Amino acid sequence: MHHANHFYGHAHVLAEYCGLDPEHPPRIEGYVQHGWNVVDGLGIGTPYLPGRPIFVWSEQTRRRAWSMGRRQATVIGAPFLYLLRFAPPAPEPAARAGTIWYPFHGWESQQVKGSHRRLIDEIMATEAGPVTFCLYWNEYRDDRLRAVYEKAGRVICHGYRGYQWQDTDIRFLHHQLSELRAHQRVASNRLSSAIFYGVAAGCEPAVYGDPMHLEREDRATAERIRRQWPELHGERPAPAAARRSALAELGDGYLASPAELRAMLGWTLDRTVPEPGAVPA
Amino acid sequence: MIRLIGGEMPGWHEDRPPAGGALYGYLTDQLPAGASVLVAGPHDHALIETLAARTAVTCLVRSQPEAERLDARGLDVLCGTLTKLTEAGRWDAVVALDGLGRLCSVEGPQYDWAESLRSLRNALLPGGVLLLTVENELGVHRLVDPAAATAARTDDAWRPLGEFDDSKPGNPARLAGRLAAEDLALGWLGAAWPEPGSPTLIATPEALRDGPADALAAVAASAVATAYRNRSVLSDPRRLAAAAVRGGIGPELAAAWLVIAHRAPLPATPLRAAPVLLGDGPVLEIGPGPDGEWVRRVRREVPGRDHAPAGPLPPGRLLEELLLGACLRHDLPAIRGLLTGWMAALPDASPDNVVVAGETFAELDPSVPARADVLSGLATTLLTGGYAHPWPAATDLRTLTAILHGAAGLPGDVPAIPPGDDPPAPDSRREHEEQLRSLRRLLADADARAEQYELEIAKRDTELTKARVQIATFSGSFGYRMAKLGYGVARKARQRLRKRT
Repeated sequence: MHHANHFYGHAHVLAEYCGLDPEHPPRIEGYVQHGWNVVDGLGIGTPYLPGRPIFVWSEQTRRRAWSMGRRQATVIGAPFLYLLRFAPPAPEPAARAGTIWYPFHGWESQQVKGSHRRLIDEIMATEAGPVTFCLYWNEYRDDRLRAVYEKAGRVICHGYRGYQWQDTDIRFLHHQLSELRAHQRVASNRLSSAIFYGVAAGCEPAVYGDPMHLEREDRATAERIRRQWPELHGERPAPAAARRSALAELGDGYLASPAELRAMLGWTLDRTVPEPGAVPA
Repeated sequence: MIRLIGGEMPGWHEDRPPAGGALYGYLTDQLPAGASVLVAGPHDHALIETLAARTAVTCLVRSQPEAERLDARGLDVLCGTLTKLTEAGRWDAVVALDGLGRLCSVEGPQYDWAESLRSLRNALLPGGVLLLTVENELGVHRLVDPAAATAARTDDAWRPLGEFDDSKPGNPARLAGRLAAEDLALGWLGAAWPEPGSPTLIATPEALRDGPADALAAVAASAVATAYRNRSVLSDPRRLAAAAVRGGIGPELAAAWLVIAHRAPLPATPLRAAPVLLGDGPVLEIGPGPDGEWVRRVRREVPGRDHAPAGPLPPGRLLEELLLGACLRHDLPAIRGLLTGWMAALPDASPDNVVVAGETFAELDPSVPARADVLSGLATTLLTGGYAHPWPAATDLRTLTAILHGAAGLPGDVPAIPPGDDPPAPDSRREHEEQLRSLRRLLADADARAEQYELEIAKRDTELTKARVQIATFSGSFGYRMAKLGYGVARKARQRLRKRT
């Protein structure tokens, strides 16, 4: 349906959960929400085809989408939670240490503005243990910027998001899960998918530091986010409340069974017989 | 024997069936044997004959052919209009289960409700009992009727007053007041469903108030469902009846009220009936048992007819309503819990015959035959009823059934159950409207998608043309490409030579 369904290997994770070939997920009859957002679950500029479902993460997002005229928003929960259902359990005993820190990132059409050096100073003054900086591919590929972070700690990238079904790192979420499981804390300067995933993977969340901003960003939205989710902001938010709130945003408790999910995504067995040269997404 | 009292209608046949049915039969059986009884208005012959077998019956009808039929059965008949009934204080009991609307003929004065009541009261001996049905003009049967009572064009509708008869009471309290004003003491009142003519459920306001409201609402919905199979209605009477009972206004929106009233003085043992009577053949009573739990008691059996067994009335709310409520709230965990519990406990029972109390799923009436395609039935209800649910993009029955199958935790895809005949549901205008709206939306969505596909195809065509040129440039046999390359080199060399010259 849309190439964003393959971002971060979401379609691949859902296919594996449904017992289908994770390397070749069938075409999804709708749009899978590819990241946490405070609108209707669709990415910016996604050309929406009327009548097709938007598979959103949470009931709150569905309500918001409805209020924006999206009548077919359907709650399935975040693909990351589906990964947790079938991923091998974390190694025992849990060897968690330090903080995995996700600096606010840009993308093809908008770059982040602000001082990374100042942010790093703030992070290092706050975090007690070792810090792993996880850069988005957009920043990771910037050698100069990566070098700035490398001076302060370990720097990683979970992989390439993918574009037009090309070069997608279909194990993006798998990499992210194993890194999150190795850390005590997950932090960022903006509330984002990574924070929610971190909570789901057992980390204590924190959102602090210079929030920086995107080119042409609507800053009112960022302020609205801080007002709505204060329990997730701060250097050390109360873990229980933060966890409750984060899991709700991921749609915890709303995950479908493989059979139900297959029927929702248009993946019933009679429809998923591979055709030669079938178009993905 | 027929006695023509005046105002009779020769050659007249009533348009609508007479009052009758199992519950009216059961109630008239409660009249003391040996009493003299006036059966006023059209009543089912079976009811009259059963009564006549144990007591002295006189019938009052306006239709002369009907009077002759009753006479042929050996009954005592008064034929004419109510205004000519002048015998005061003659009967121990008056049975008017057809109400008061078909007692006056076209001849002579046209009594309103209160005048008719007074006339029947006068016919009673002191202490005599009146069994009377009062149609509720705001009853569920009226609210869902596509036709207005005041627009009736049948032969008997020469004065279709409907709700404009101001003398007719509009609720049970006012009915009691009108009876008291006529020196009639109300002994018992029951709210009746689904229709005044032959109710299959009669429940007292006290039972509806103090009894298991959810289960009684389910019983009311079930009674209405049977009567309205395939019938054209404005909106679904099952939901209306159940919502009224649950909301505490069951009696106010019941199709009719049935009263047992005594002309003063009240006898030492006034006639009363059970808190709840149920049945369309077999008759069951529902009421509090010795330990406070509500139980069913079988009062009358009919050979060859199944009925719900005696014993505790399963408590809880109707599964279908719980599922619809959870769907409207988009409460997926609750929906999945209900579907899973249902499929584990009673996979062959239709959701309108299952009540749920906590984790317990029980069949409301175990005598209802099993169905193999209950999930498909639920999907049909969701789609045709236009109910909001968590899978709005699943607009076809097959997909929604498959989703429900998965949501119920059943393994694999939907097995190939041939869909049975859908349970005959009321044919609701509101649902027609919803289906029209839904089809319009689907069509508009499909149009918009087709337009976007056209744009996408145009874009892909441009890309394809470009790609074909590139492919042509870099494809072909080695000799062909060498020749092409040589030709290109030769052309450039010639151009250079030309420039030099």
